[in-house]
Amino acid sequence: MALEIMEWIGYATIGYFIAMQVYMLFLAVVSAAALRRNHHLRRFGRVGEMLSSRTTPPVSIVIAAYNEAAGIVDAVRSMSIVRYPRFEIVVANDGSQDDTLQVVVDAFGLEEVRIPYRPDLDCAPIKAIYRGRSGVDITVIDKENGGRADALNAGINAARYPYVFCTDADVVLDPDCLVNSMQRVVEDRARTVGVGGNVRPINGSRVQLGHLIEASVPKRVVPRMQILEYIRNFLASRPGWSWMNAVPIVSGAFGIWKKSVIVEVGGLTKGHLGEDMDLTMRVHRHLLDKGVPYRIVYEPAAVLWTEVPDTLRVLRRQRIRWHRGLMRAVRDFRGMTFNPRYRQMGMVIWPGFVLFEYLAPIVEFIGWFVVPAAWFLGALNTTALVWLLLIALGMGLLNSLLALLLDESFGYFNSVADTSRLIAVAVIENFGLRQMTVLWRIRALLGGKETKAWGNMERRGVANLARQE
Amino acid sequence: MSEQKKILVADDSETIRALLQTALESAGYEVDVAQDGPSAYELGSAGDYDLIVLDQLMPGLLGLDVVARWHEEGMEVPVLMLTGVDDDRTAIESFDQGVVDYVRKPFRIPELLARIRMRV
Amino acid sequence: MFPELLNQSAVILIFSVDAILLMALIALKVIHRRRMTSHEGRRKDYLGLLSRHISFENHTEPITEPIAEDPAFLDALIDMRNAITGDDTTLRRIVNHHGIIQRQMRYLDSSWLLGRRLRAAVALAELGDETSADMLIRHLDDREPEIRIQCARGLGRIRWTPAIDQIVSRFGREIPWVSTRFSDTLVGYGTRATWPLLAYIRINHRFETEGAVLALRTLAQIQDDEAVGPLLAILAETSDLEVQIATVYALGEVGSPQALTALDSLLDSGEWALRAKAAGALGGLGDAAAIPRLVISMRDENWWVRRSAAAAVAMLPGGTDALYRALDDDDPFAADAAAEALTDIGELVSARRRADEGSRTEPLLAHMRSEG
Repeated sequence: MALEIMEWIGYATIGYFIAMQVYMLFLAVVSAAALRRNHHLRRFGRVGEMLSSRTTPPVSIVIAAYNEAAGIVDAVRSMSIVRYPRFEIVVANDGSQDDTLQVVVDAFGLEEVRIPYRPDLDCAPIKAIYRGRSGVDITVIDKENGGRADALNAGINAARYPYVFCTDADVVLDPDCLVNSMQRVVEDRARTVGVGGNVRPINGSRVQLGHLIEASVPKRVVPRMQILEYIRNFLASRPGWSWMNAVPIVSGAFGIWKKSVIVEVGGLTKGHLGEDMDLTMRVHRHLLDKGVPYRIVYEPAAVLWTEVPDTLRVLRRQRIRWHRGLMRAVRDFRGMTFNPRYRQMGMVIWPGFVLFEYLAPIVEFIGWFVVPAAWFLGALNTTALVWLLLIALGMGLLNSLLALLLDESFGYFNSVADTSRLIAVAVIENFGLRQMTVLWRIRALLGGKETKAWGNMERRGVANLARQE
Repeated sequence: MSEQKKILVADDSETIRALLQTALESAGYEVDVAQDGPSAYELGSAGDYDLIVLDQLMPGLLGLDVVARWHEEGMEVPVLMLTGVDDDRTAIESFDQGVVDYVRKPFRIPELLARIRMRV
Repeated sequence: MFPELLNQSAVILIFSVDAILLMALIALKVIHRRRMTSHEGRRKDYLGLLSRHISFENHTEPITEPIAEDPAFLDALIDMRNAITGDDTTLRRIVNHHGIIQRQMRYLDSSWLLGRRLRAAVALAELGDETSADMLIRHLDDREPEIRIQCARGLGRIRWTPAIDQIVSRFGREIPWVSTRFSDTLVGYGTRATWPLLAYIRINHRFETEGAVLALRTLAQIQDDEAVGPLLAILAETSDLEVQIATVYALGEVGSPQALTALDSLLDSGEWALRAKAAGALGGLGDAAAIPRLVISMRDENWWVRRSAAAAVAMLPGGTDALYRALDDDDPFAADAAAEALTDIGELVSARRRADEGSRTEPLLAHMRSEG
């Protein structure tokens, strides 16, 4: 009897992973269809029209800065040359311990001003506001420390325009990222409340003066694995989610939101480790509850580049943080799971997310013990086991290759060497790297005060990133 | 014998670079090109140009910032700015810094040539 | 548990697909990339070729049939057309000589490939002339939204007047983004579009408010003085708030002092959105007589109204002085609105300066934080 149970659990575990890959494949196919249409439209850019039209909506770029003295000036400068008719940059200095504030004030000739500050969203007390006179409008809010979510709330409070682009201080924006993403807003001004963009790891690429010269795949395995991961996520999942209007997470590094909607849901949640997913899901829930027609979409051609963890140690901290955020979100939004009121999000995508994102490490961890035990005890047929494992592996590879294929149309990686490295890591990651992420996420489940809200990554400063070997 | 005048053309659109280079060379000027802010700044500072045609919006360094830097360094080459976007405030600022004329894009070739002839 | 054959087949199938994808990836990388580079290379060469034709009179470099049929040549033509305006007789001559328009019209009408039809629509929009006008009008109903947009653009570029009514009449039934682009095209027509737009608004503002609002915003950009009378009439007729707001906005953009009285009275409206828009519009009229009323509006209970009023004052002659005076206003909110407006126009109102003059900043900022 026990043997039968073990047999059942063993097969179920492997079956779970095959099911997960099938679900990913389904998403990838939907994404492919969505991307194809997008590709045609991109070819004949409406960029020029948007740039010269007076109806193009203005955008406030909001960034939260904590101890960013090394790279903040370059970051702001690179943001100031984004191609867009009307926009401003709002920097929320979250009680930095270094001289982030002074550095920015000096570099851009800002002055402390007296202007009304409307606290639509809760946040830690503001100490001062600075504005500048030259070129792009830059506003700096100096406030007491409160975490990233809190700082973004302050920045959003001070934003003058109806759309806010929330991002980090240490990113490199593609000059057309605003035009490309705001096109989705202009398409359907009434309904579009959020647009997510494509986040790509910059590790290994050449950057000069805050401007990406050439993208390339690093030789080190840790960042390389993440490049593949980001491609899978941003190209083989998100377009599919977007097409179904069920994007569960608009990345905190690239999220354009209608300011009024953020205010309606009360802004970002202070101290939440996954504040981007939290905001996105809350907006979904709020608007679905209200019965208002809306859409949150994703634009793959709107790109920004960010630094991803280079070493296992930093990656571990990040993944634990992410999983803790996911745990909290799963708990907060369990009322939406299989709830028909929340339509495709509640019935398909969110359960899929919980089932395959959240539960995956648990199932895999259990499988590590159960499957070998069951096999050893003779409950599992050896050949069947081998075939099934091969199926799971093969399908995983299939999804990775499909994602890489979808990425081809964007033309970032020009050499065969780059592509081969990515293909290689698609295979290698199954033997060690994935297992490590599982362990980290189990660690996250067990709780503890592992990381602070900011998750200080020892940044090298994007402006100084050279091609890494 | 009149010496050939040298012009630097800086624009991130290759169409404009190709067109201006050909048009200006056919009008008898010697032409160098730059495709982004930093190279425009480097070439402009190093070379001995009689006029610089500069695009306002270029990757790496805004046309206005390039002009500001040149002004700080005391460079006296006249600059003709190509602009695609309306912006009165920046126009006024830059006239103090060495920009002698503004041309909106898209432009007419004969008009651009005439304006250049006036300044060189 | 599972039949061995099934497993075997599944594995073979999956790994075969893997192999196919792998080969597709490599193939794409090598072949597609080569094709794109070659396309790009040819396009650059054609740019040079066209530049020489434009710059030199009677340039004799030949443009052969293969060149004329190359999509890269078409792309180069489009790029060149975008870069220069007015004097494009050379380009026109080249286009006519090689029957490029006719070919693209054929593609637009009968090709199955979306990509080719789209390129044809863009080409006709950029390079087309009167011969393509009828086809462009016909394709205003094309099933692909982007093509509809390009057709309207094309008609606007050749200034085809009969198309104006066609485009305006579609405002109400088009999807938002297409009608916004239609609106941009109409702005390109300039004052010739004024009366068709006014006619559309008068007929439809009761039923198709969205279309009417868009038409009003279009008029706002065209800024034709002749529209003032009819706009004031619409303002008096309509009871829909959205239409009122859009009309007020248009009046402000047109900027004729005729509208002063009507806008002035709206400063007392019960709807804050309308008060705010009226204040903004008064700023656009350019008449300094509005300043006293606007300063009173700076004490409005609604912050958006206060802000719009202050911004409007900043736009009027003598407004900056009025705002500096308003910094001393008894009403702290009006003072703040003034500070904000001054900062926005570059007159940075230093907090330190205010602090020196009696520490009003700290309590005010604190007051702001504790409010609502």
